Amino acid sequence: MSAFTDWDILRNLLLAARWTVALSLIAFAGGALVGLLLTFMQISGRVVLVQMTRLYVELFQGTPLLMQLFLVFFGISLFGIDVSPWTAAALALTLFSSAYLTEIWRGCIESIPKGQWEASRCLGLNYVEVMYHIILPQALRIAIAPTVGFSVQIVKGTALASIIGFVELTKAGTMLNNATFEPFKVFGFVALIYFLLCYPLSVASRMLERKLHASG
Amino acid sequence: MPLVNIDNVHKYYGDNHVLKGIDLRIDAGEVVSIIGRSGSGKSTLLRCINGLETYSEGGIIVDQMEVTDDDSQIRKLSKSVGMVFQHFNLFPHLTVGQNITLAPKLVRKLSAEEAAETAREVLQKVGLQDKFDSFPGELSGGQQQRVAIARSLAMRPKVLLCDEITSALDPELVGEVLKVLETLATEGMTLILVTHEMNFARDIGDRVIFMHQGKVWESGEAKAVFANPQTPELQTFINAVL
Ligand SMILES: Nc1ncnc2c1ncn2[C@@H]1O[C@H](COP(=O)(O)OP(=O)(O)OP(=O)(O)O)[C@@H](O)[C@H]1O
Ligand SMILES: [Mg+2]
Repeated sequence: MSAFTDWDILRNLLLAARWTVALSLIAFAGGALVGLLLTFMQISGRVVLVQMTRLYVELFQGTPLLMQLFLVFFGISLFGIDVSPWTAAALALTLFSSAYLTEIWRGCIESIPKGQWEASRCLGLNYVEVMYHIILPQALRIAIAPTVGFSVQIVKGTALASIIGFVELTKAGTMLNNATFEPFKVFGFVALIYFLLCYPLSVASRMLERKLHASG
Repeated sequence: MPLVNIDNVHKYYGDNHVLKGIDLRIDAGEVVSIIGRSGSGKSTLLRCINGLETYSEGGIIVDQMEVTDDDSQIRKLSKSVGMVFQHFNLFPHLTVGQNITLAPKLVRKLSAEEAAETAREVLQKVGLQDKFDSFPGELSGGQQQRVAIARSLAMRPKVLLCDEITSALDPELVGEVLKVLETLATEGMTLILVTHEMNFARDIGDRVIFMHQGKVWESGEAKAVFANPQTPELQTFINAVL
Protein backbone atom coordinates (compact mmCIF):
# COMPACT_ATOMS: atom_id res chain seq x y z
CA MET A 1 0.00 0.00 0.00
CA SER A 2 1.14 3.45 0.79
CA ALA A 3 4.79 4.07 1.35
CA PHE A 4 3.91 7.06 3.50
CA THR A 5 3.97 6.79 7.25
CA ASP A 6 1.94 9.20 9.35
CA TRP A 7 5.13 10.96 10.16
CA ASP A 8 5.91 11.38 6.45
CA ILE A 9 2.54 12.94 5.87
CA LEU A 10 2.88 15.29 8.78
CA ARG A 11 6.44 16.23 7.89
CA ASN A 12 5.50 17.08 4.31
CA LEU A 13 2.53 19.07 5.47
CA LEU A 14 4.63 21.00 7.94
CA LEU A 15 7.19 21.77 5.26
CA ALA A 16 4.42 23.07 3.01
CA ALA A 17 2.96 25.02 5.91
CA ARG A 18 6.08 27.18 5.81
CA TRP A 19 4.77 28.56 2.53
CA THR A 20 1.39 29.21 4.05
CA VAL A 21 3.13 31.19 6.76
CA ALA A 22 5.36 33.00 4.27
CA LEU A 23 2.42 33.88 2.04
CA SER A 24 0.42 35.06 5.06
CA LEU A 25 3.26 37.26 6.24
CA ILE A 26 3.79 38.80 2.82
CA ALA A 27 0.07 39.37 2.36
CA PHE A 28 -0.21 40.91 5.79
CA ALA A 29 2.83 43.14 5.45
CA GLY A 30 1.94 44.15 1.90
CA GLY A 31 -1.69 44.64 2.83
CA ALA A 32 -0.76 46.75 5.82
CA LEU A 33 1.54 48.92 3.73
CA VAL A 34 -0.96 49.49 0.93
CA GLY A 35 -3.75 49.77 3.50
CA LEU A 36 -1.84 52.47 5.36
CA LEU A 37 -1.43 54.43 2.16
CA LEU A 38 -5.13 54.04 1.34
CA THR A 39 -6.10 55.02 4.87
CA PHE A 40 -4.12 58.22 4.55
CA MET A 41 -5.77 58.89 1.21
CA GLN A 42 -9.10 58.36 2.86
CA ILE A 43 -8.48 60.77 5.73
CA SER A 44 -6.83 63.34 3.48
CA GLY A 45 -10.23 64.92 2.99
CA ARG A 46 -9.57 65.26 -0.77
CA VAL A 47 -12.77 64.18 -2.46
CA VAL A 48 -11.06 62.50 -5.41
CA LEU A 49 -8.71 60.48 -3.21
CA VAL A 50 -11.50 59.50 -0.85
CA GLN A 51 -13.69 58.30 -3.70
CA MET A 52 -10.88 56.38 -5.35
CA THR A 53 -10.22 54.63 -2.07
CA ARG A 54 -13.90 53.85 -1.57
CA LEU A 55 -14.09 52.34 -5.05
CA TYR A 56 -11.01 50.23 -4.41
CA VAL A 57 -12.36 48.94 -1.12
CA GLU A 58 -15.81 48.21 -2.54
CA LEU A 59 -14.29 46.39 -5.49
CA PHE A 60 -12.21 44.04 -3.39
CA GLN A 61 -14.84 43.54 -0.73
CA GLY A 62 -17.53 42.93 -3.30
CA THR A 63 -15.82 40.14 -5.23
CA PRO A 64 -14.68 36.68 -4.11
CA LEU A 65 -11.01 36.34 -3.27
CA LEU A 66 -10.86 33.43 -5.70
CA MET A 67 -11.87 35.68 -8.60
CA GLN A 68 -9.23 38.18 -7.56
CA LEU A 69 -6.65 35.41 -7.63
CA PHE A 70 -7.74 34.27 -11.08
CA LEU A 71 -7.77 37.80 -12.42
CA VAL A 72 -4.28 38.49 -11.16
CA PHE A 73 -2.90 35.13 -12.24
CA PHE A 74 -4.46 34.92 -15.68
CA GLY A 75 -4.93 38.63 -16.18
CA ILE A 76 -1.29 39.50 -15.93
CA SER A 77 -0.28 36.69 -18.27
CA LEU A 78 -2.55 38.26 -20.88
CA PHE A 79 -0.07 41.11 -21.06
CA GLY A 80 2.61 38.60 -21.91
CA ILE A 81 4.14 38.80 -18.46
CA ASP A 82 4.80 35.46 -16.89
CA VAL A 83 3.66 35.39 -13.30
CA SER A 84 4.45 32.54 -10.99
CA PRO A 85 1.64 31.26 -8.78
CA TRP A 86 3.65 32.59 -5.83
CA THR A 87 3.77 36.14 -7.20
CA ALA A 88 0.13 36.06 -8.23
CA ALA A 89 -0.99 34.75 -4.86
CA ALA A 90 1.13 37.26 -2.94
CA LEU A 91 -0.15 40.11 -5.08
CA ALA A 92 -3.82 39.11 -4.94
CA LEU A 93 -3.74 38.53 -1.20
CA THR A 94 -1.98 41.84 -0.67
CA LEU A 95 -4.66 43.69 -2.61
CA PHE A 96 -7.39 41.77 -0.82
CA SER A 97 -6.05 42.39 2.67
CA SER A 98 -5.23 46.03 1.97
CA ALA A 99 -8.89 46.65 1.15
CA TYR A 100 -10.12 45.02 4.33
CA LEU A 101 -7.49 46.64 6.52
CA THR A 102 -8.34 50.04 5.05
CA GLU A 103 -11.96 49.47 5.94
CA ILE A 104 -11.11 48.31 9.46
CA TRP A 105 -8.84 51.29 10.07
CA ARG A 106 -11.30 53.78 8.66
CA GLY A 107 -13.87 52.43 11.09
CA CYS A 108 -11.43 52.87 13.97
CA ILE A 109 -10.63 56.44 13.02
CA GLU A 110 -14.28 57.31 12.63
CA SER A 111 -15.14 55.74 15.96
CA ILE A 112 -13.19 58.42 17.83
CA PRO A 113 -15.87 60.64 19.36
CA LYS A 114 -16.68 63.92 17.65
CA GLY A 115 -15.98 65.69 20.93
CA GLN A 116 -12.27 64.97 20.50
CA TRP A 117 -12.33 66.91 17.24
CA GLU A 118 -14.30 69.74 18.72
CA ALA A 119 -12.07 70.12 21.75
CA SER A 120 -8.99 70.08 19.53
CA ARG A 121 -10.44 72.68 17.18
CA CYS A 122 -11.33 74.94 20.09
CA LEU A 123 -7.73 74.71 21.21
CA GLY A 124 -6.65 75.88 17.77
CA LEU A 125 -5.12 72.66 16.47
CA ASN A 126 -5.21 72.28 12.69
CA TYR A 127 -6.33 69.16 10.84
CA VAL A 128 -2.92 67.54 10.67
CA GLU A 129 -2.20 68.25 14.34
CA VAL A 130 -5.55 66.83 15.42
CA MET A 131 -4.95 63.69 13.37
CA TYR A 132 -1.39 63.22 14.54
CA HIS A 133 -1.74 64.04 18.22
CA ILE A 134 -5.32 63.12 19.03
CA ILE A 135 -7.12 60.90 16.55
CA LEU A 136 -4.52 58.47 15.21
CA PRO A 137 -2.98 57.52 18.57
CA GLN A 138 -6.42 56.62 19.88
CA ALA A 139 -7.47 54.91 16.66
CA LEU A 140 -4.27 52.84 16.69
CA ARG A 141 -5.14 51.38 20.06
CA ILE A 142 -8.60 50.40 18.91
CA ALA A 143 -7.26 49.02 15.63
CA ILE A 144 -4.85 46.48 17.09
CA ALA A 145 -7.37 43.81 18.09
CA PRO A 146 -9.43 43.74 14.85
CA THR A 147 -6.23 43.91 12.79
CA VAL A 148 -4.81 40.84 14.51
CA GLY A 149 -8.23 39.24 14.15
CA PHE A 150 -8.20 39.86 10.42
CA SER A 151 -4.85 38.14 10.07
CA VAL A 152 -6.77 34.90 10.68
CA GLN A 153 -8.74 35.61 7.49
CA ILE A 154 -5.48 36.06 5.62
CA VAL A 155 -4.08 32.75 6.81
CA LYS A 156 -7.25 30.96 5.75
CA GLY A 157 -7.34 32.95 2.51
CA THR A 158 -3.96 31.56 1.48
CA ALA A 159 -5.63 28.18 1.02
CA LEU A 160 -7.15 29.48 -2.20
CA ALA A 161 -3.69 29.89 -3.68
CA SER A 162 -3.68 26.11 -4.02
CA ILE A 163 -6.12 26.45 -6.89
CA ILE A 164 -3.65 28.31 -9.09
CA GLY A 165 -1.08 25.67 -8.29
CA PHE A 166 0.90 27.23 -5.49
CA VAL A 167 2.11 24.50 -3.18
CA GLU A 168 1.19 25.57 0.31
CA LEU A 169 -0.54 23.63 3.04
CA THR A 170 -3.81 22.87 1.24
CA LYS A 171 -2.17 21.98 -2.05
CA ALA A 172 0.29 19.72 -0.26
CA GLY A 173 -2.68 18.07 1.41
CA THR A 174 -4.34 17.44 -1.94
CA MET A 175 -1.15 15.98 -3.35
CA LEU A 176 -0.57 13.76 -0.33
CA ASN A 177 -4.15 12.59 -0.50
CA ASN A 178 -3.69 11.59 -4.12
CA ALA A 179 -0.68 9.56 -3.12
CA THR A 180 -2.06 7.95 0.03
CA PHE A 181 -5.82 7.84 -0.51
CA GLU A 182 -6.30 8.66 3.13
CA PRO A 183 -8.31 11.87 2.90
CA PHE A 184 -9.60 11.84 6.43
CA LYS A 185 -6.17 11.53 7.96
CA VAL A 186 -4.45 13.93 5.54
CA PHE A 187 -7.05 16.67 5.68
CA GLY A 188 -7.42 16.13 9.39
CA PHE A 189 -3.77 17.03 9.73
CA VAL A 190 -4.20 19.96 7.35
CA ALA A 191 -7.08 21.32 9.38
CA LEU A 192 -5.13 20.83 12.58
CA ILE A 193 -2.18 22.80 11.27
CA TYR A 194 -4.44 25.65 10.12
CA PHE A 195 -6.02 25.63 13.51
CA LEU A 196 -2.68 25.78 15.26
CA LEU A 197 -1.75 28.77 13.10
CA CYS A 198 -5.02 30.61 13.54
CA TYR A 199 -6.01 29.85 17.09
CA PRO A 200 -3.21 31.81 18.77
CA LEU A 201 -4.06 34.78 16.59
CA SER A 202 -7.72 34.65 17.59
CA VAL A 203 -6.80 34.34 21.22
CA ALA A 204 -4.34 37.20 20.96
CA SER A 205 -6.96 39.34 19.28
CA ARG A 206 -9.49 38.63 21.99
CA MET A 207 -6.98 39.27 24.74
CA LEU A 208 -5.90 42.55 23.21
CA GLU A 209 -9.50 43.51 22.80
CA ARG A 210 -10.20 42.89 26.44
CA LYS A 211 -7.00 44.46 27.69
CA LEU A 212 -7.35 47.64 25.69
CA HIS A 213 -10.98 47.85 26.62
CA ALA A 214 -10.34 47.53 30.30
CA SER A 215 -7.69 50.23 30.36
CA GLY A 216 -9.39 52.40 27.77
CA MET B 1 -15.83 98.11 21.74
CA PRO B 2 -17.41 95.05 23.43
CA LEU B 3 -15.30 91.90 23.68
CA VAL B 4 -17.97 89.86 21.94
CA ASN B 5 -20.18 91.52 19.39
CA ILE B 6 -22.94 89.44 17.85
CA ASP B 7 -24.85 91.23 15.16
CA ASN B 8 -28.08 89.88 13.68
CA VAL B 9 -26.88 86.29 13.46
CA HIS B 10 -29.02 83.73 11.68
CA LYS B 11 -28.37 80.02 11.51
CA TYR B 12 -30.14 77.27 9.63
CA TYR B 13 -29.81 73.50 9.84
CA GLY B 14 -31.35 72.65 6.50
CA ASP B 15 -34.82 74.15 6.72
CA ASN B 16 -34.64 74.45 10.47
CA HIS B 17 -34.20 78.15 11.32
CA VAL B 18 -32.33 77.75 14.58
CA LEU B 19 -31.03 81.26 15.29
CA LYS B 20 -33.32 84.05 14.18
CA GLY B 21 -31.38 87.25 14.33
CA ILE B 22 -29.33 87.27 17.53
CA ASP B 23 -27.94 90.60 18.72
CA LEU B 24 -25.67 90.53 21.72
CA ARG B 25 -22.83 92.61 23.09
CA ILE B 26 -20.71 91.31 25.90
CA ASP B 27 -18.05 93.37 27.63
CA ALA B 28 -14.80 92.10 29.06
CA GLY B 29 -15.30 90.81 32.60
CA GLU B 30 -19.00 90.13 32.25
CA VAL B 31 -20.52 86.87 33.40
CA VAL B 32 -23.44 86.07 31.12
CA SER B 33 -25.74 83.09 31.59
CA ILE B 34 -27.78 81.79 28.71
CA ILE B 35 -30.89 79.93 29.78
CA GLY B 36 -33.84 78.50 27.91
CA ARG B 37 -35.68 75.35 26.97
CA SER B 38 -34.09 72.45 25.16
CA GLY B 39 -33.79 73.17 21.46
CA SER B 40 -34.01 76.94 21.82
CA GLY B 41 -30.58 77.36 20.23
CA LYS B 42 -28.33 77.97 23.24
CA SER B 43 -25.58 75.57 22.25
CA THR B 44 -25.75 76.62 18.65
CA LEU B 45 -25.24 80.26 19.58
CA LEU B 46 -22.32 79.40 21.84
CA ARG B 47 -20.69 77.29 19.15
CA CYS B 48 -21.03 80.10 16.63
CA ILE B 49 -18.99 82.37 18.87
CA ASN B 50 -15.79 80.39 18.37
CA GLY B 51 -16.38 79.15 14.85
CA LEU B 52 -17.33 75.59 15.75
CA GLU B 53 -20.55 76.23 13.82
CA THR B 54 -20.96 78.48 10.83
CA TYR B 55 -23.74 81.01 10.64
CA SER B 56 -25.57 82.03 7.51
CA GLU B 57 -26.19 85.70 8.07
CA GLY B 58 -24.98 88.53 10.27
CA GLY B 59 -21.61 88.85 11.92
CA ILE B 60 -19.71 87.95 15.05
CA ILE B 61 -16.63 89.79 16.20
CA VAL B 62 -14.63 88.56 19.16
CA ASP B 63 -11.64 90.45 20.48
CA GLN B 64 -11.57 92.42 17.24
CA MET B 65 -11.44 89.29 15.12
CA GLU B 66 -14.20 88.32 12.76
CA VAL B 67 -15.41 84.78 13.42
CA THR B 68 -15.24 82.65 10.31
CA ASP B 69 -14.74 78.94 9.78
CA ASP B 70 -11.47 79.59 8.03
CA ASP B 71 -8.76 77.35 9.51
CA SER B 72 -6.21 80.04 10.27
CA GLN B 73 -8.92 82.26 11.72
CA ILE B 74 -10.07 79.50 14.06
CA ARG B 75 -6.49 79.07 15.17
CA LYS B 76 -6.21 82.78 15.89
CA LEU B 77 -9.53 82.78 17.70
CA SER B 78 -8.44 79.91 19.92
CA LYS B 79 -6.06 82.29 21.65
CA SER B 80 -8.95 84.52 22.68
CA VAL B 81 -11.87 82.13 23.12
CA GLY B 82 -11.81 78.99 25.22
CA MET B 83 -14.55 76.41 25.41
CA VAL B 84 -15.56 73.82 27.97
CA PHE B 85 -17.99 71.05 27.09
CA GLN B 86 -20.65 69.08 28.88
CA HIS B 87 -18.70 65.85 28.43
CA PHE B 88 -15.25 67.30 29.17
CA ASN B 89 -13.72 65.97 25.94
CA LEU B 90 -10.35 65.44 27.54
CA PHE B 91 -7.84 63.46 25.49
CA PRO B 92 -7.94 60.05 27.18
CA HIS B 93 -4.58 58.86 25.86
CA LEU B 94 -2.70 61.86 27.26
CA THR B 95 -1.92 62.71 30.85
CA VAL B 96 -3.46 65.74 32.48
CA GLY B 97 -0.21 67.60 31.94
CA GLN B 98 -0.06 66.62 28.27
CA ASN B 99 -3.71 67.54 27.80
CA ILE B 100 -2.96 71.02 29.04
CA THR B 101 0.42 71.65 27.41
CA LEU B 102 -0.37 70.35 23.92
CA ALA B 103 -2.14 73.39 22.49
CA PRO B 104 0.06 76.02 24.15
CA LYS B 105 3.08 74.30 22.59
CA LEU B 106 1.56 73.84 19.13
CA VAL B 107 -0.50 76.99 18.84
CA ARG B 108 1.08 79.50 21.19
CA LYS B 109 4.55 78.14 20.41
CA LEU B 110 5.56 77.92 24.04
CA SER B 111 8.61 75.87 24.90
CA ALA B 112 8.05 72.62 26.82
CA GLU B 113 9.18 74.29 30.06
CA GLU B 114 7.00 77.34 29.58
CA ALA B 115 4.01 75.14 28.77
CA ALA B 116 4.59 72.94 31.80
CA GLU B 117 4.92 76.03 33.95
CA THR B 118 1.60 77.31 32.59
CA ALA B 119 0.01 73.91 33.15
CA ARG B 120 1.07 73.84 36.80
CA GLU B 121 -0.27 77.32 37.28
CA VAL B 122 -3.71 76.60 35.78
CA LEU B 123 -3.93 73.27 37.61
CA GLN B 124 -3.25 75.13 40.83
CA LYS B 125 -6.09 77.46 39.97
CA VAL B 126 -8.54 74.56 39.69
CA GLY B 127 -7.06 72.84 42.73
CA LEU B 128 -5.55 69.84 40.98
CA GLN B 129 -1.82 70.54 41.03
CA ASP B 130 -1.15 66.97 42.20
CA LYS B 131 -2.83 65.43 39.13
CA PHE B 132 -0.27 66.54 36.54
CA ASP B 133 0.75 62.98 35.68
CA SER B 134 -2.63 61.30 36.05
CA PHE B 135 -4.68 60.13 33.11
CA PRO B 136 -8.21 61.53 32.71
CA GLY B 137 -9.67 58.06 33.26
CA GLU B 138 -8.23 58.05 36.78
CA LEU B 139 -10.13 61.17 37.80
CA SER B 140 -13.68 61.78 38.96
CA GLY B 141 -16.06 63.61 36.67
CA GLY B 142 -15.70 66.80 38.65
CA GLN B 143 -11.93 66.59 38.49
CA GLN B 144 -12.02 65.90 34.77
CA GLN B 145 -14.15 68.94 34.19
CA ARG B 146 -11.76 71.06 36.24
CA VAL B 147 -8.90 69.76 34.11
CA ALA B 148 -10.89 70.70 31.02
CA ILE B 149 -11.27 74.20 32.41
CA ALA B 150 -7.56 74.33 33.16
CA ARG B 151 -6.79 73.18 29.63
CA SER B 152 -8.82 76.06 28.23
CA LEU B 153 -7.24 78.54 30.61
CA ALA B 154 -3.75 77.52 29.52
CA MET B 155 -4.45 79.19 26.18
CA ARG B 156 -4.94 82.47 28.06
CA PRO B 157 -8.36 83.17 26.58
CA LYS B 158 -10.19 86.44 27.12
CA VAL B 159 -13.54 84.72 27.19
CA LEU B 160 -14.54 81.24 28.27
CA LEU B 161 -17.58 79.54 26.74
CA CYS B 162 -19.18 76.86 28.89
CA ASP B 163 -21.94 74.62 27.54
CA GLU B 164 -23.78 72.97 30.43
CA ILE B 165 -20.53 71.96 31.98
CA THR B 166 -22.09 70.56 35.14
CA SER B 167 -24.97 68.69 33.51
CA ALA B 168 -23.11 65.40 33.15
CA LEU B 169 -21.83 65.41 36.72
CA ASP B 170 -23.13 63.60 39.76
CA PRO B 171 -24.89 66.15 41.96
CA GLU B 172 -22.23 66.04 44.65
CA LEU B 173 -19.54 66.99 42.12
CA VAL B 174 -21.32 70.03 40.69
CA GLY B 175 -20.24 72.29 43.51
CA GLU B 176 -16.49 71.96 42.95
CA VAL B 177 -16.85 72.96 39.32
CA LEU B 178 -19.12 75.91 40.05
CA LYS B 179 -16.61 76.99 42.68
CA VAL B 180 -13.92 77.20 40.01
CA LEU B 181 -16.22 79.24 37.78
CA GLU B 182 -16.94 81.56 40.66
CA THR B 183 -13.25 82.09 41.25
CA LEU B 184 -12.73 82.87 37.60
CA ALA B 185 -15.64 85.29 37.68
CA THR B 186 -14.22 87.19 40.64
CA GLU B 187 -10.84 87.34 38.93
CA GLY B 188 -12.49 89.15 36.05
CA MET B 189 -12.67 86.41 33.44
CA THR B 190 -15.39 86.91 30.86
CA LEU B 191 -17.73 83.95 31.03
CA ILE B 192 -20.57 82.97 28.73
CA LEU B 193 -22.38 80.02 30.22
CA VAL B 194 -25.22 77.94 28.94
CA THR B 195 -26.50 76.59 32.21
CA HIS B 196 -29.34 74.96 34.07
CA GLU B 197 -27.87 76.06 37.39
CA MET B 198 -30.33 78.86 38.02
CA ASN B 199 -28.95 79.72 41.43
CA PHE B 200 -25.51 80.18 39.95
CA ALA B 201 -26.91 82.29 37.11
CA ARG B 202 -28.74 84.49 39.56
CA ASP B 203 -26.09 84.83 42.25
CA ILE B 204 -22.83 84.88 40.33
CA GLY B 205 -23.92 86.02 36.89
CA ASP B 206 -24.12 89.65 35.86
CA ARG B 207 -26.60 89.16 33.11
CA VAL B 208 -29.08 86.53 32.01
CA ILE B 209 -30.13 85.86 28.46
CA PHE B 210 -33.32 83.89 28.02
CA MET B 211 -33.49 82.23 24.64
CA HIS B 212 -36.72 81.03 23.13
CA GLN B 213 -37.34 79.72 19.63
CA GLY B 214 -34.00 80.90 18.34
CA LYS B 215 -34.32 84.44 19.66
CA VAL B 216 -33.09 86.39 22.64
CA TRP B 217 -36.54 86.52 24.15
CA GLU B 218 -35.65 88.43 27.25
CA SER B 219 -32.47 89.60 28.91
CA GLY B 220 -31.30 91.78 31.70
CA GLU B 221 -29.47 92.04 34.99
CA ALA B 222 -29.41 88.59 36.52
CA LYS B 223 -31.30 89.13 39.76
CA ALA B 224 -33.89 91.35 38.11
CA VAL B 225 -34.62 88.83 35.39
CA PHE B 226 -35.39 86.13 37.93
CA ALA B 227 -37.32 88.44 40.24
CA ASN B 228 -39.33 90.12 37.53
CA PRO B 229 -39.72 88.09 34.35
CA GLN B 230 -41.41 90.25 31.73
CA THR B 231 -42.65 87.62 29.32
CA PRO B 232 -45.02 84.72 30.02
CA GLU B 233 -42.52 82.37 28.36
CA LEU B 234 -39.78 83.21 30.83
CA GLN B 235 -42.26 83.07 33.68
CA THR B 236 -43.29 79.56 32.67
CA PHE B 237 -39.66 78.56 32.27
CA ILE B 238 -38.63 79.86 35.67
CA ASN B 239 -41.58 78.22 37.35
CA ALA B 240 -40.68 74.95 35.70
CA VAL B 241 -37.03 74.91 36.71
CA LEU B 242 -37.01 76.54 40.12
N1 LIG C 1 -25.81 69.27 14.16
C1 LIG C 1 -27.11 69.56 14.01
N2 LIG C 1 -27.78 69.21 12.89
C2 LIG C 1 -29.08 69.50 12.72
N3 LIG C 1 -29.82 70.15 13.61
C3 LIG C 1 -29.25 70.53 14.77
C4 LIG C 1 -27.86 70.25 15.03
N4 LIG C 1 -27.55 70.73 16.24
C5 LIG C 1 -28.67 71.28 16.71
N5 LIG C 1 -29.69 71.17 15.84
C6 LIG C 1 -31.06 71.69 16.03
O1 LIG C 1 -30.97 73.05 16.33
C7 LIG C 1 -31.91 73.43 17.32
C8 LIG C 1 -31.19 74.09 18.46
O2 LIG C 1 -30.31 73.17 19.06
P1 LIG C 1 -29.35 73.53 20.24
O3 LIG C 1 -28.49 72.35 20.49
O4 LIG C 1 -28.68 74.82 19.97
O5 LIG C 1 -30.38 73.71 21.44
P2 LIG C 1 -30.07 73.93 22.97
O6 LIG C 1 -30.81 75.14 23.35
O7 LIG C 1 -28.64 73.90 23.23
O8 LIG C 1 -30.79 72.67 23.59
P3 LIG C 1 -30.33 71.76 24.83
O9 LIG C 1 -30.78 72.47 26.08
O10 LIG C 1 -31.10 70.49 24.63
O11 LIG C 1 -28.85 71.56 24.76
C9 LIG C 1 -32.64 72.17 17.70
O12 LIG C 1 -33.86 72.15 16.99
C10 LIG C 1 -31.75 71.05 17.21
O13 LIG C 1 -32.52 69.95 16.81
MG1 LIG D 1 -27.31 72.53 24.22
